[in-house]
Amino acid sequence: MIIKHSDKIRSPEEIRKNFEKLGYICSDAIATAVYLACQLQKPILIEGPPGVGKTELAKKTSEYLSAPLIRMQCYEGLDEAKALYEWKYGKQLLYTQLLKDQLGDVMRGAKGLDESVDRLHQFGDIFYSEEFLETRPLLQALKEPEGAILLIDEIDKADQEFEAFLLELLSDYQVSIPEIGTVKATSRPIVMLTSNNTRELGDALKRRCLHLYIPFPEPKLEQKIIASQVPELGGELRDQLVGFVKELRMMALKKVPAVSESIDWARALLLLNVEELDREWVENTLNLLLKFQEDVEIVEPEINQLLSNLRKSGRN
Amino acid sequence: MQKVIGDFIHALRHHGLPVSPAETLDALQATELVGLDNPLRLKTTLSLTLAKNLQHRAQLEVLFDQFFQLSEEETEASTTDAENSEKGDNEPATETSASNQTEDSGANEQQAQQNNPDSSGPQVSSPLAQQLLSNDQSSLQVTIASAGKSEGATEMQLFTQKSQVSYRIMQQLGDRELNQELAELSEQPENLALVERLQQARQQLREQVSDYVEQQYLLFTQKSGEQLRENNLKKIKLTNVDHSHYHQMSRLVQKSAKRLASMHSRRKRVTKHGQLDTRKTIAANAAYDGFLFHTKWKSTKVDRPKVMVLCDVSGSVSRVARFLLLFLYSLQDVLPRVRSFVFASDLGEVTDSFDKDTIDVAITKIMDEWANRPTDYGIALQDFRSLALKDIDKKTTVIMLGDARNNNADPKSEIWEEVYKRSQRVLWLNPEGRYSWNTGDSVMREYAPHCSLVEPCNSLRDITRILGTLLQRS
Repeated sequence: MIIKHSDKIRSPEEIRKNFEKLGYICSDAIATAVYLACQLQKPILIEGPPGVGKTELAKKTSEYLSAPLIRMQCYEGLDEAKALYEWKYGKQLLYTQLLKDQLGDVMRGAKGLDESVDRLHQFGDIFYSEEFLETRPLLQALKEPEGAILLIDEIDKADQEFEAFLLELLSDYQVSIPEIGTVKATSRPIVMLTSNNTRELGDALKRRCLHLYIPFPEPKLEQKIIASQVPELGGELRDQLVGFVKELRMMALKKVPAVSESIDWARALLLLNVEELDREWVENTLNLLLKFQEDVEIVEPEINQLLSNLRKSGRN
Repeated sequence: MQKVIGDFIHALRHHGLPVSPAETLDALQATELVGLDNPLRLKTTLSLTLAKNLQHRAQLEVLFDQFFQLSEEETEASTTDAENSEKGDNEPATETSASNQTEDSGANEQQAQQNNPDSSGPQVSSPLAQQLLSNDQSSLQVTIASAGKSEGATEMQLFTQKSQVSYRIMQQLGDRELNQELAELSEQPENLALVERLQQARQQLREQVSDYVEQQYLLFTQKSGEQLRENNLKKIKLTNVDHSHYHQMSRLVQKSAKRLASMHSRRKRVTKHGQLDTRKTIAANAAYDGFLFHTKWKSTKVDRPKVMVLCDVSGSVSRVARFLLLFLYSLQDVLPRVRSFVFASDLGEVTDSFDKDTIDVAITKIMDEWANRPTDYGIALQDFRSLALKDIDKKTTVIMLGDARNNNADPKSEIWEEVYKRSQRVLWLNPEGRYSWNTGDSVMREYAPHCSLVEPCNSLRDITRILGTLLQRS
C-alpha cells in the first residue's frame, strides 16, 4: 500500500500517540503490531474476547492512514461469489437481447454451424470482460489504486474452504479468475482479520499472519479509554467503575463485560447523574454490563460484597 | 542477532512450539525493524511473529524471560565480579599481572622457578588455575559453553543428569589438575593465601557451571523428560494410573483429543455430482427468462455422527470411564452431539452436567453420585430403553464402556439387540483383556453378537485409536 505520509508509521510510539489523538487508546503491543504490519506488508490476525476493540482497530487504522476501509463480514456459507467477484448476469442477458440484431448481422451469410461459431469467436469473450464483472470486497481491495485497509471480520465464522481460498490472497496479494486471469494488487492492501475463536483457524492461515491477541485492558489503560470516550465522567467514579468491572471479569460468568460494555455503562451513569456507585444504581444498570439473565442472577447477591471490596482497595 | 534469535527459536521448538522457517524469517525481519534495545517490545514482536495461539504465547513469554534474563544476569555478574576484583583486591590483581608476566617469559624459566621454591611469588602451572587467577570472566564463560557443548549439556535426557554433566564440564575444564596442584601448594605454608584464593575461585566456577547447566536444562531438556514420561503414560493401563498422575493424565487426554479434533475438524462433504436437480435449477434461473445460467446439482452431505456413550462407573471400570468421558468431551469441536449416560445399577443421563461445569468438576461429581453400587446391566439397559431408545436412529453410534460383569443377574441382551438394530453401529469397549472375558460373572458372550465392534480398551492409546476410526468412518 502506498502510505501517503510515511512518517506516520515511523515508529510504534508515533502510531500509539496518534491513535490516542483519534480516540483509540491502545497498548504497546497493538501499536507494534500495526507498525510491523505496515512495514512488513503482512496481514494481522487479531484475536480476543468480543468487545475489546478488534474491529475498531481496523477502522482507526484506516482513518489514521486516510485509506479507504473495505470490510467483509464473514458468515457460514460465504463463498467466492460473495467475497471476490460475480458476473453481472442481468447485464449480460440485457446486452445479448439488445445486441440481438447486431449479432444477426454478424452471422448473416455464414454457412453452417461451424462458420457461425468461428465468426462468434472472432469477437472474443465480450460478455466475460471487466465490464461485466461485479467486484466484491476482496477484488475491490486489490483494485484500489492507492491501497486500502481490508478488514475480514470474524473469519472464524466462515467455512474452512473459504479460509483455504484466502491463502493465495494473503501471501501473494493476487487472485485467479478463470475467465480473466490472475489479478494482482495494484498496491498491497493492509489486511486485518479478526476472530472470536469460535473455532481453531488453520495453521496455514496463521503462519501467514502476525498474530495479535488483544486481552481485556489493564485497569489503568481502561481508565484512559473511558476518559477519552466519556470525558465528562468524574475521575473518582471512573476509578470505581473500572474496578467494579475488573471484579466482574474475575467471576465465573457466561459472558464477562468487555470494554464496549464499560463504555456504555459509563455513558449511562453519566446520563443518570450518578455520583457514586451504590447498590441501587448498580442493580438498576446491571443489565448494561451483563447480557445473560443467569449472569445477572449470579452477580446480584454479590453486589454489596463487590462494592465493599472496591472501597477497601480504593482506600489502600 | 541472527544467532541469538536462532537459538531462541531452537529453544521454542524444543518446548513444542511449531515455528516454521518462514516464521523465523518473519521474526528476523521484524526484529531488524524494531531493534534489540527495548526488551519489552522485542518480546511483543517475537510473540506477534512466532506464537500463533494463546497457549503458545504464554509459553513464549516464559521462555523469553528465561532465555534473555539468564544471559543478562551472567553479564551483570561478570561485570560486578570484575569490578570487585579491581576495587577490593588490589594486591592479588598485581600478583596476577606478575604471574602473567612470568608466564610470558617462557616455560623454561617457569620450570626453574618451580624447582626453586625461594623465588619471587608463588606460581601456578595448571591452565585452569591460571585462568581463574586472571579472572577473565568472558573467556571463562566461553570455555564453559564450549566444554558444555562437548559434554552434551544440550542433550541431557533427565534432570538426574544435571550433576553428572556439571561434573564432566568441570573435569573438561581441568578441575583434576587444579585439584592436584592445590594439594601440592597447600603442603607449603607460605602459599596459604594463594590456595585460599584458588579455592574460592574454584567454588565460584562450580556455581557458574551449575547455573549454566541449569539454564541449558530448562531450555533444552526439561521438555524431553516430560515427553518421555508422557509417552509412557500413553501406554500404561488406565486402571493402573497412579493418583499422582491423574492431573497430568487428564492434560494428556485433552492434548490427544485436541490433536484428533484438529485432524478431523474439516467438515467432510461427499457430494454426489452428476445428477442435476431440475427443480432447484429451474427455481434458481426463473429470473433469467428461462436461460439456465446456474445449474444446481443434487448432493448429499455426510453429517457428524451422533454419539451416545454408556459408561459403567462401578469399581475398576470407573477409572477408564473417567478418561473416556474426558476424551469425548474434549472432542466437542468435532463431536458436538455426545449424549452420555452413566450407570452402576440405575442409569442416568449426565450430558447436562458437562455443559454446566468444567470437565474435571463434572466427572468428579458424577463419580460421587453414581459409582459405588453393585453393577446390574439388566436394570441399566431397561433404563436406557426408556430414556433414549427412541432417539437412536441410523446416524447414531452407541459406545458402551463396561466389563460386562453382571453379578449373575439377567443381562437383558434383547434390549441391546434392539439398540444394535436401530443404530448405525455399536461399539463395546471392555477394559479387561480378551482372555478374561466370559470368566466368572462376565457375560460378554451375551452382548458380543449384538455389537459391530468389540475391543479391549485400557490405555489412552487404545482410546485414541478407537475414537480415531470412529471419526474416520463418519
